[in-house]
Amino acid sequence: MTLTELLQLTTGGVVLGAMYGLIAVGYTMVYGIVQLINFAHGEIFMLGAFGALFVYAWVPALHEISLWLALPIMLAAGTVISVVAAVAAERFAYRPLRGAPRLAPLITAIGLAIVLQQLIFLYAPLRELRDDRWETTVGAKQPQLFPQLPGEALQLGGVTVQWADVLTLGFAVVAMLGLAYFVRRTRTGRAMQAAAQDPDIARLMGIDVDKIIVIAFAIGGALAAAAGLAHGLRYGQITFDMGFIAGLKAFTAAVLGGIGNVYGAMLGGIVLGVVESLAAGGLSYVDAVQQFGGGAWKDVWAFVVLILVLLIRPRGLLGERTGDRA
Amino acid sequence: MSGAGARRAIVPAPAAGRGTVARALVTAGAAVSAGSTFLPWTWTASFPGDLTVAGYPGGNQVITLVVALVMLAYCGAAYGLPGLRALAPRGATPALRALALALAVSTGYVLAAIAITLGGLVNWVPGSWVAAVAVLLTLLAALALPDDRRDAPPPAPGPRWRETLVVFAVLLGGLVLADYGLATEHTEQFIGYVLALGFAVRGLGVSGLPAVISALIARNRVATSVAALCAGLAFAVIQTSGAYTSLAANVLIFGAVALGLNIVVGLSGLLDLGYVAFLGVGAYAGALVSGSTFSRFTGTPLPFWAAVLIGIAVAVLAGVVIGAPTLRVRGDYLAIVTLGFGEIFRIVVNNLDGVSGPQLTNGPNGIPNIPDLVIFGYDFGEEHTVLGVTFGRFTNYYLLLVLVIAVMVFVFARVGDSRIGRAWVAIREDEVAAQAMGVNTFRLKLLAFALGAAMAGLAGTVQAHVTTTVTPDQYQFLSTAPPNSAFLLAAVVLGGMGTITGPLLGGALLFVIPEKLEFFEDKQLLLFGLTLILMMRLRPEGIVPNRRRQLEFHEEEIAGREGRAVAGVGA
Repeated sequence: MTLTELLQLTTGGVVLGAMYGLIAVGYTMVYGIVQLINFAHGEIFMLGAFGALFVYAWVPALHEISLWLALPIMLAAGTVISVVAAVAAERFAYRPLRGAPRLAPLITAIGLAIVLQQLIFLYAPLRELRDDRWETTVGAKQPQLFPQLPGEALQLGGVTVQWADVLTLGFAVVAMLGLAYFVRRTRTGRAMQAAAQDPDIARLMGIDVDKIIVIAFAIGGALAAAAGLAHGLRYGQITFDMGFIAGLKAFTAAVLGGIGNVYGAMLGGIVLGVVESLAAGGLSYVDAVQQFGGGAWKDVWAFVVLILVLLIRPRGLLGERTGDRA
Repeated sequence: MSGAGARRAIVPAPAAGRGTVARALVTAGAAVSAGSTFLPWTWTASFPGDLTVAGYPGGNQVITLVVALVMLAYCGAAYGLPGLRALAPRGATPALRALALALAVSTGYVLAAIAITLGGLVNWVPGSWVAAVAVLLTLLAALALPDDRRDAPPPAPGPRWRETLVVFAVLLGGLVLADYGLATEHTEQFIGYVLALGFAVRGLGVSGLPAVISALIARNRVATSVAALCAGLAFAVIQTSGAYTSLAANVLIFGAVALGLNIVVGLSGLLDLGYVAFLGVGAYAGALVSGSTFSRFTGTPLPFWAAVLIGIAVAVLAGVVIGAPTLRVRGDYLAIVTLGFGEIFRIVVNNLDGVSGPQLTNGPNGIPNIPDLVIFGYDFGEEHTVLGVTFGRFTNYYLLLVLVIAVMVFVFARVGDSRIGRAWVAIREDEVAAQAMGVNTFRLKLLAFALGAAMAGLAGTVQAHVTTTVTPDQYQFLSTAPPNSAFLLAAVVLGGMGTITGPLLGGALLFVIPEKLEFFEDKQLLLFGLTLILMMRLRPEGIVPNRRRQLEFHEEEIAGREGRAVAGVGA
């Protein structure tokens, strides 16, 4: 394996990891405050991608202009759908179960994930370009084509970088800078830290914890939507069930970085992405284990990483930041 | 009778002798409803079930007839007939009202279905009108009945032989009901059955009968176990259709796995979202040593007991490898690790095809041609006729599975009542407190996890022979075909966590309902997800609640009720 190939694999891993990180922030923020694994968060990511596709398919004006100019509108649409779904889930499914035994919200989350997936599968209003004519279909039963960014891929010293990769990294950087500012500098951000440390005391200090929880769900939803858009642009197609594996990876990233820690989520995502990419790509160069390289095994390696983290450093790379530790 | 009772009646009627009139009307209405089932309800045989025959009931009429007969028995109880009074220890009126509702809803549903599917009320014949008027009259009269609710003292234990007889009768009745539901031939009949059963069970619940029966069962546990086993075995004799015995065998596999999951989720409170992978591990282990020509180890058909031991051992090994790192840390992580494991199992099995990895499992094609079991020279693939009863292939497996479930129930009950079981419940309720009390939480959680895996592995080795083919896609987190992790979890949660009957009942419902209601089609999973959410909101303790769990889930309501009582005393 040459250095260029190694760099290429690493770059791919970093980009993939940035996407995992964007989703993982949603898991980690919610978990930090309410100690709930929001299984439906993967579907929020999926909804973000479909929201972007909806607006592209149904607004003909967007086909006339460059996709770069259409992107903000697609991102906005995806964000709206994701945030509305995340906040509605909190309000109508999770909040009534606060204080119920631990299994009840987890099972609700699974039910919710199934419902969101099936709603898109059965009823998503889609339009597709077939033989130069836009045809309407109901339900995303097939993988849906996603528009691609125009322009040649960048060549940086032999390493090929797609524009979608650049965009993904851009989303991640902007999101992390924004989050850092929000959490450290704004009143709401500090209130969120307080609520994560101890919701009851925070409530006594006059913090509206319910509002903080809604904000955490909303921020998570927005970042997941950005990840969804990035996913669509990178892979060129989206499916109704893409949230399942992505959500699983993102949660692994959150645990890897230290649950409750937003920077940890991004770091964990990137580490996971690089490990996955290097394991899948790198192992194929080693004769003895050549068969275990390649795309078919990459999910397995991500899972092995999760098990190893739990064995060696269950607090995660940067340490947990949650209130209650049982 | 006229004081407090009169105020509780729902339909107002002249006070004098109202009870007598209403009771007579209910009795007459139920009798006429029963009689109307011997008349034709429509003129054409194109309505499913052929309701055109005079002289004997058919199709949905049987349901109406049975409900009406049960109502007549309760009318007898309302009249205080000596033998029948025991049916309604806490008053016959609530039961009669609910049964009248069951009668009206299920009969009304069929009559409406006749009018709608055949196009208009002209398709009603005199028999339909008689039935419609009779059930309506029964319902109105039942609503006018005065309330006779009373607190019943727990009945004194009768002689041993009589209690045993009652237990057998109850379980055989349940068997006949379950068999009827399974064998319903068309959607209308199944819906009518579900409607009638749902309301009737509700009705019997308020009559205080279940409390008496559960006390009876608690007193006669051995007799109940034997009777349940007999009922399970008897099903194979009364049900001979291949399609339904195949369905029943699959329901039993599903129920067995759900029972195993119940140890993990219900007793110990560990959320396992990849449980079906342990079933898969067992099934693949069983398939590999089964002597299938497509197995890597072809030509070495191990005896069944050895295959079972290998299946269990491999599943337990997988369980410990997954559980040991995870169970040390926070409980929530287990959910996601098991979810990952379930997915990874499928991917690994897919990859071990000789191209993406070493050849072991044939990848996506799976291992087909798994030969039938032969135990003590009894070939499960052949038909056997014993004492004039023919046992087909699925019936053979059904019988084997009944024994497997019996073993599992035995293990579940014994472990659940032991020191270990109590420690599991303590961990479920409050892990920190359990640890403080000296419970070694990690080891006990690992034990629960491993025992659950062992049960799934055992079920898996049998499943491989029943389905004759194992493929990776049978073992997913979620799919439309029942044995998958989400459905298993739902069977436990909907049925009732921590109970024995709960997961078996939940499993049977989840398996049979989609099988019977084809019009769900692709909306099945959507409805499934909604059911999970609603169930957690409305009845989180499940259909068959564990007493302790029910208290836990309804802590606030109970506390509120007590609070009101205290406030009432204070005022």
